[in-house]
This record gives sequence, structure tokens and C-alpha cells, in this order.
Amino acid sequence: MPVRVAESSAPSQVSGAHSEESSPPICSLLTVGQAFSGTQNVSNLQKEEAWRVNVRIQGCDLEHGYLCGTMEALNVPMADTPVVTFWEGEIVDAKNYTFYTGKWEATPEDDIRHWTKFPSFAPLLSRVEADGGKSLDLSNYPYIFMRWKEQYFVNVGTDCGLTIAGFYYVCFSCSDGSINGFYYDPNSSPFQKLELKCANEGRSGFSFSSYELQ
Amino acid sequence: MPTTTASAAGTTVGNNILLRLTSGERDVKLKALRELKNQIIGNRTKKLSFLKLGAVPAVAGILSDAVSAVDVADDDENDRIVKDIIVQSAAVLGSFACGFEAGVRAVLDAGAFPNLSRLLSYTDENFKIGDFGDILIQRGCLVEEMLLHKSYMEVVDAGARSLKMIYQSKMAPKYDFLQEENMEFLLSLLNNESENVSGLGASIISHSCKTSLEQKLLFDAGVLKRLTSLLGGSLIQRDASLESIATIFKNNPEVVSKFVGPDTGRTLSCIIDLVKDRFARTRLLASLCLIVIRNASACYLQDVGIKTKLINNLLELLDDPGQVGDEASFAFSSLIAEKEDMQKLAFEVNGIDKLYNHLQKGSLHPRRFEGILLALADMCSKLECCRSRCLSLQVLNLVVDALAHDSSDVRSAACMCLRSVSRSIKNLSAGSFMNETIVIPLVRLLDDTSTAVQKVMGQTISNSFDWPRSVVFGWEAKCILASGCNLRGSSMPISVAALGAISNIVVDFTTRRSTFIRLGGVKLLVQLLKSMDSTIRLNALWALRNLIFLAEDKCKEEIFMELTASLLASLICDPEPSVQEQALALVRNLVDGRINSVEYIFAEDGIILDAVGRQLRIASKAEIEIQGMYVLSNVATGKESHKEAVMDQLLLHAENKAQSCIIKFLQSNDSRLRTAAVWAVLNLTCSSSPGASGRLVELRDAGIVSHVKNMVNDPCLDVKLRVRTALGQFTSFDDSLILCIFSPAASNNKASTSCLQFLTVRAVGELSHVVDPSSKQAADSL
Repeated sequence: MPVRVAESSAPSQVSGAHSEESSPPICSLLTVGQAFSGTQNVSNLQKEEAWRVNVRIQGCDLEHGYLCGTMEALNVPMADTPVVTFWEGEIVDAKNYTFYTGKWEATPEDDIRHWTKFPSFAPLLSRVEADGGKSLDLSNYPYIFMRWKEQYFVNVGTDCGLTIAGFYYVCFSCSDGSINGFYYDPNSSPFQKLELKCANEGRSGFSFSSYELQ
Repeated sequence: MPTTTASAAGTTVGNNILLRLTSGERDVKLKALRELKNQIIGNRTKKLSFLKLGAVPAVAGILSDAVSAVDVADDDENDRIVKDIIVQSAAVLGSFACGFEAGVRAVLDAGAFPNLSRLLSYTDENFKIGDFGDILIQRGCLVEEMLLHKSYMEVVDAGARSLKMIYQSKMAPKYDFLQEENMEFLLSLLNNESENVSGLGASIISHSCKTSLEQKLLFDAGVLKRLTSLLGGSLIQRDASLESIATIFKNNPEVVSKFVGPDTGRTLSCIIDLVKDRFARTRLLASLCLIVIRNASACYLQDVGIKTKLINNLLELLDDPGQVGDEASFAFSSLIAEKEDMQKLAFEVNGIDKLYNHLQKGSLHPRRFEGILLALADMCSKLECCRSRCLSLQVLNLVVDALAHDSSDVRSAACMCLRSVSRSIKNLSAGSFMNETIVIPLVRLLDDTSTAVQKVMGQTISNSFDWPRSVVFGWEAKCILASGCNLRGSSMPISVAALGAISNIVVDFTTRRSTFIRLGGVKLLVQLLKSMDSTIRLNALWALRNLIFLAEDKCKEEIFMELTASLLASLICDPEPSVQEQALALVRNLVDGRINSVEYIFAEDGIILDAVGRQLRIASKAEIEIQGMYVLSNVATGKESHKEAVMDQLLLHAENKAQSCIIKFLQSNDSRLRTAAVWAVLNLTCSSSPGASGRLVELRDAGIVSHVKNMVNDPCLDVKLRVRTALGQFTSFDDSLILCIFSPAASNNKASTSCLQFLTVRAVGELSHVVDPSSKQAADSL
């Protein structure tokens, strides 16, 4: 749906660096229970291939820049059933996490190479190159940048012939809940693209459920 | 040859001593008192045995007679014997009261307390308490007088020592600091050179200072100054002083802020030094002092070195086999509770492993067991690394065993530990908690009618404050209210502690909820919903709300069968607002998921939906309104009839359409509520549903559309983006409505007229800044 959000598309710089100010926006489409579906392109030089993917958000702790959920790959050739993995996400909020990964074999150059694949990252590039984006206030920016790292297989053993060694650079659009991502693993095909859209699961609109831990 | 048994022999000896206590000869009586004292010192069994024989009233009687007799003693020798009898009987009574609650009760019942108190001022007219040394020097006393004074001192000392023992118990009468003469007397006790007398003064403070007003009065009277000077005294004075200082500071930032200043550096350094004293009890008490200062405000004691030292000290004190070791874990909990930085430090010094090592020893004293479980609960309350470590060490096996412990306090602590560990979404997602080993003992506790007393650090070390821990939701506030802001401890039903853990473990992302249902969990939770206690209703609802989150159809069906629509409707209208909120959150989850789930809200002639609508019209708490709006918003994602039912709740039932509750919510200061309200509008006007345009017209007529329009630059990004989506959605209808308006079939349509008005508004450009260019172009072409 065409919506003009140009006036808020430029991120401002953090002033005073209050923790609330530098927190990412609370987006109702990125809350527990929300489902997304789409594809991950796993093509390589030999053949074109895309797996259907479903994602469900299971936990969200914005204060700690934490998000987690499951990812289900549906038509994985070597698996009899859909393969479900549990992932944990780092939200780039300049407080808990910056654009620089600093682990998982990702160099700053790898980071920039992947983030720049997202058009919405362009206005941030200069600040990120200057100080890793520490001075950015992303709280009013309509995109949320994250890293998703799969932690374990939920329904198959580690001997399933699949790997979860890499991680995803992810960009979430607060406007329509669409998710774009790029899988990074030095030992896998580069830039495997993940494209997901909000799934309303047969409903005429968006439904929201919630739980609360004690 | 026949002989008596050991216990019979003991009784004979006991009876013999008791017999001699009644002797008319003072020497015999005195000897019997000494013998009795030697028998019972440090021997609980003997104390109990003599208690049963009635020794306490007998000794109290001797004390009373002696106190009366001393004034009429005819010569020095008699005077001396009477005073010896007083000293010995006071010592016996003190021994009975020492660490033995039944003994304290007996001493108080025998009426000995007033006589012991009289001993404190037991001097002749020349010797006033607190001024002994000065008076003697001033008056140039003779050696004989000095000896006499020594005798008086022994009497005062004996009285003070016994009273101190009594003041270690909760049963001791409360000392009234509000009376001026009492405060003066307390200061005279603290100023006394005798360590027993000044120690008694400190014990009175630790025992009787219970309110912030008393803390302030004591501070203003200069008590703290005297107490800090006692830190340099004997071991007894030091410990008593530390305990009292902690009591005066505890939970009173005002007093702490008055204390902490440029002049207090030396005192603070002294207390910090005492954290590494060679005596374990002193180390614990010094730690308690620093903890209450630190807990008053995070700006005190920020030095990482001190914080780490405190943590290490308390973890080391767990090795103490006695009371200090038992209490160390409670102090540790108080230091780290709700403080992520402290929990992180504790994790870095292997706190989880150290606590686990103690837990592993087995056959722990219940209080120690409880304290360690609570310490683990606090460590795992916020940090995933702590939970992971607990799980990798398989601490849960021991925690689960503790769920069936004989002590209700241990069972309650085990529930809290499980509750903290099960906050790990990573492990909830892996289904680590939803298994029979954990669920069976937890579900069993839902039937447990016993209660557990909530304790905190130093309950017996510094026994005047039993502040409630932050426990299961709703309980802490209740404790404080029930105690008239006195911050006293309270007992909590075990079922509530169990519900805290159950609420977490039922958040199951696998398909193992059936385990909980099969084991009778849902039946018991529904039973608890009918409890008279709102905290139980609240926590049972909380567990069901979490259980039903993303639940599969069959699971929802089974839960709903037990719940029934009428019970759910009555809970939505519960007198307790927090119960209303949870009931609405449960309904929100119930109608989420597959589209047929929406039907639940229409069961029994739609009593649930009616209750939701009614609650939304009368509620005044944002949390209730948010959950209620999400219920309607979720129902509005269903079929046409579902959406129409939501419209009815929002518009038909409003006294005046222009005063629909949704308008109030759209104008709320709470962005979460505005978001929920906009989502409802979005779902009602979702372009894929055939009746959307008609509903849009109705919403416009009720003034809702114009309110949404006004929110286009809402300060909350989420609201702003939803509003823009909604306005885009409205615009898409403009195009279809244009066709509708200009078609002959629609010429008499009421909706068409309204749409025309709506479009006229648009045509003058009110919405021009939000519509997409193609739609705008279409409208302009009109």
C-alpha cells in the first residue's frame, strides 16, 4: 500500500543518549505470536533453488535488544519433513548492539557489504562508517535492523545434513511488516536472500495474541 | 540388679535441683541456681526438660523475691547473697531464653520481664546507670564502695544479658521509641560502658524498630552516632551495633541519605573493613549494613570492587555450618534481587556453581535449603546466562525434588526458582519444562493448602524486619497493604507460588500442552478461578492465558469446555481490575489463531462478547482497555458477521454514537491503547471484506474516521504507520464508492450519500497529504 513516510525516513542523531531514545520503535507487527511467510533463495552456480520459509516470533525483549523465534523451511530437498530451527536475534539499537557483528566470522567489511544490500540502510551508511552507528537514534526510523542466528534444530537431529553455522542480516519494515534478509556463512553460497511477508493466516486483517512470563 | 534409665535419672536430678530451689536457706538456693545454670547452658534438651518440670516459674519467683528483699537486706553479707541470687536467677532465665522460643515464652509468661528490666536501674541512689565511672571519680569513692559498685554492676549486667536474650526473640514486647523518656533511656543504655548494657540497647533497636517513623526518630535522636562509635568496641558491641545500623537504614532512603555524606567516609570504611573480619557473624552483619545502604539508592557503593567483595563474602559465608551460613543466602538475595548488574557480577564469580555445590550436599536444614533456592531464583530472574548454567548443571533435578519437600517454605522457594529458570524462551521453545517430571509435582501443589512465609535477609540475625520479597504477581502489593505500609512479611499460599512457575512453563511452543491437560492441570486451574482470593484467581487466569497462547484447536476446545463461557464472562467483570485484564487477555488469545476460534466469543448467546463490550465502556485502566480492544480487533479479523458484531459493540451499545469508547481510546495518552484502537478500525475496514465500505461509512458517521485522520502525525511511530495504512485503506474505498455512488442502483443508498459527503471533504484536500497519487488523481478527476 502506498504510504508516504518520507519525512521520518532520515534517522536523527542521538542527543543526550537516553536509553529510551535510542531504543528501536515498538512495532505491533514485530511482537510475539506474529507469523511471516516467504522464501529463501538458496541458488548456487549449479541450480536455481528457493525454499519456502515460515517464521514465528516467540520472544521479544526490546530493552535487551533481543528477539527470538522459529524458522520453518518447507521444501528442503534432503529432509522428509519441514525443518524447524530456533533462532535468536540481536536488534541493532546502538545500545545493546551495533551494525558491526564482531563475531560469527563476520568482518566489518562483511557487515557493510550485507547492510548496504538494504536500500533503507543507505541513509545510515556514513554514520555507521564513522562510528559504527553508535550516534544514531533509530527509535523513529521505520526500519529495524537485526541479526538472526539459528541456535538449534527443533524437530530434526544435527545429523540431518543441514547446517545452521551462518546467520542472517535482517531488515524489518515497520510499515507493512515485510522482512528482507541475507544469509551469511563463509562456507555457503553468498547473499542467499530471505523474503518474508506478514502472514494473516486466512484472516481478514491482523490478529494479535500475547503471553507474559512471571 | 535393677537400675533407672538415663532419662529417669535426669528427671530425678532435675527434681532434686527444683526441690533445692525452694529451700529456705539462701546458700542452698544459690547453689541450686548455679547448678541449674550449668546444666542448661547450650543444651536445648536440658532446657526443654527443666521447662517441663516448671523450673522457669520457680526461678522467676526467686528473682522476684530477691528483688524485693535486696532493699531490706540487714547486713552486707546478706546483701551480697541476695545480689548473687539475683545475678544467678537472671542468668538462668537468660539461658532459658537464649535461642529457645519456648524458653522465651515461659520467661515472659512467668512475669520475669518487668523484674529483669528493674535490674537495669538497680543501683542505690548514688549510682545512676551510665555514669558509674564519672561518679566514682568525682566522689573519691573508697575501695569498699568500689566493690559495692562492682556488685551492682554485676546485677545490671546480668539483667541486661538476660533481656538481650529475650530481645533476640520476636516474642519480646515492643519497645516504644515514640515516648521521649524511653528514647532517653535507650540512649543511656547505648552510652553505658558495659558491653552487655549497650548491646541490649542495640538489641532493642533491632527488635523494635519497625517503621520508617521510628527509624527517623532514632536517627534524629543521635542513636546512629552512638552506634557507629560502638563499631570500635568489643565483638559483642560491634555486632550489636552493625545489626542496629542495618535496622535503622533498611528501606529508608531518607535516613541513608542523611547519613551518607562527607563525614561518614570513616564509618563506611570501617564497615567495609568489617566485611573481611575474622568472625563470620561480623562479616555477615557488616555485609547486611552495606546491602541496606546500597539498596537505598544505586548511587551508593558503586565501586565494582566493593560490590564484588560483598558478593564473594556472602558466597563464602555459605560455608559456615551455623546460623550465619543459613542467613548468608538471604543476604545474597537481597543484594542481587532486581539488579541485573549485581546478578552479572555474581555470575562472573561462579555464583550459580557455588550455590549448586551447597544444594548438592543434600540433607540441608530447611532454612538453608530455602535460602539457596531463593538465591538461585534471584540469580536467574533476569539473565539467560544464569538460567543456561543452571540447566547445564542440571540444578532443576534438585529443584524438582524440593517441590515435594516437607517444609512449605522450601516448596515455595523451589517454585520461585523454577519460575525464574523457566523465563528462558530458548528453553521454553525447546519444550525443556513441559514434561511429567516437572508438571506432576507442580500440579500437585495447586491443591496444597499450606502457606509459606516470605522472608528476606537476616530474618533472625536482624529480626525486626521481614520484608516481603518480590514474589508472584499481586502478592507483594497485598503484603504491603495488609501490613499498613509496615513492610512486614506475610504468608503466601503454596498454590500461588506454584501458579507463578506454571504460568511460565505452559508457554509451550511445541505441541506438548496436552501433557499439562492430561495431568489434570486445566481442571485444577479452573477450580482456582472460583477462589475467593483474587490473587489466586489472577494467577490461575494468567496460567490459562499463557497456556492458550498459540494453542492448537483441540487444546483450545478442551480448555474452553472446562472454562465455560459464563465463567469467563463473569471473570471479565470481576471486581478486581487485574483479574479483568487477565481474563480479557485470555479471550484475546482464545479468539486468535484459526478463524473458527472466533466463534468461542459467541457461545451462550455471546455473553463473552457482551461482557467485553460492557467492560470497555466502563473501564478506566489502560491495561484493561488495551486487552479489550485487542479482543475486538481479533474478532474483527473474522467473517462479516463477526465484524458486524464488533461494530455493534462499538456503536450500537454506545449511549451516543459520537461517544463510542473507541474515540476515547484513539485519544488516549497511552500509545499502546491508540495502536490497539487503530488496529480494530483497520480490521473492520479491511479491503478484502465485502461489507468494509458500509462499515467505513458508519465509522465516519460516528466521528471515528475523522479522529483517525487527525492521528496521521501521531508521536508514536507504530500508531502513525497504522493510521497511514488505515487512511490508505479508506482511500481505496473512495474509488470503489465513487462507482457505487454513480451507479443508478445506488442512488437511493444512505451509504452513498454519506460517502459523497466524505469524498467532498477529501476533494477539498483534507486528506490530500496522505492518499496515494493514483487515488488522488481519481478523486481529482471528479
